Amino acid sequence: MDNKKKYEKVFMDSFSISKDKLKKDLKYNTIPQWDSVGHMSMIAALEDAFNITFEMDDIIDFSSYKTGKEILKKYKVNIS
Amino acid sequence: MKKFSLDSKQLLDYQPNRPPFLMIDYVTEVVPGVSAKGFKNLPKDEWYFPIHFPNHPNVPGALQLEALAQMLTVAITTLPGNKGKVTHALSHEVRFRKEVLPEQKFIIKTKVISWKRGICEGTGQGIVNGEVACEAKMKITIPEILEQFLPKK
Repeated sequence: MDNKKKYEKVFMDSFSISKDKLKKDLKYNTIPQWDSVGHMSMIAALEDAFNITFEMDDIIDFSSYKTGKEILKKYKVNIS
Repeated sequence: MKKFSLDSKQLLDYQPNRPPFLMIDYVTEVVPGVSAKGFKNLPKDEWYFPIHFPNHPNVPGALQLEALAQMLTVAITTLPGNKGKVTHALSHEVRFRKEVLPEQKFIIKTKVISWKRGICEGTGQGIVNGEVACEAKMKITIPEILEQFLPKK
């Protein structure tokens, strides 16, 4: 599975949403599932999926689907 | 981490609930970040027995679960830096197996599965007369820690 599919899958599994929800830039706290607990579950799932450990500042900055792609570049994970 | 016990007075430093809502009498062994176990005696003058139920007193399931969650809290609040912090419940899944009756001793055993960024997942069992009365999977948080990791609006 390529990185983009992995990234999408984490969002879809963590928040129980369909792929079309990701077309618009999904943001923190704009759906009930992406609340504080959902945020931590999604972050943990990304760490497992890409075998990385986020720094605290990146967890705080990870405020949208789009921003997350940029943050992952720091960890040498490119989402095309 | 080194294990230790907490008497009813020492417990108050690590568990923010107070009687009559404090559902632990004594912590017999806590290994910070790993496990906590102890007990609550159930004298017949406990506040809920006259009302739950008038002719058939038993410990409400919600309070059995509360006892497990309070004990899991102790496993986390005894970690360095967490003393005195308030915890909140996030989600619990519980199975009740036996009635818990007046004059019984309610043994509480909890284990931490994970503790990360202010969220603890763990399991617990309530035991009476050597038998499991209830068991739960629990998720609790220390909001003060969790909030440090959240995106700012």
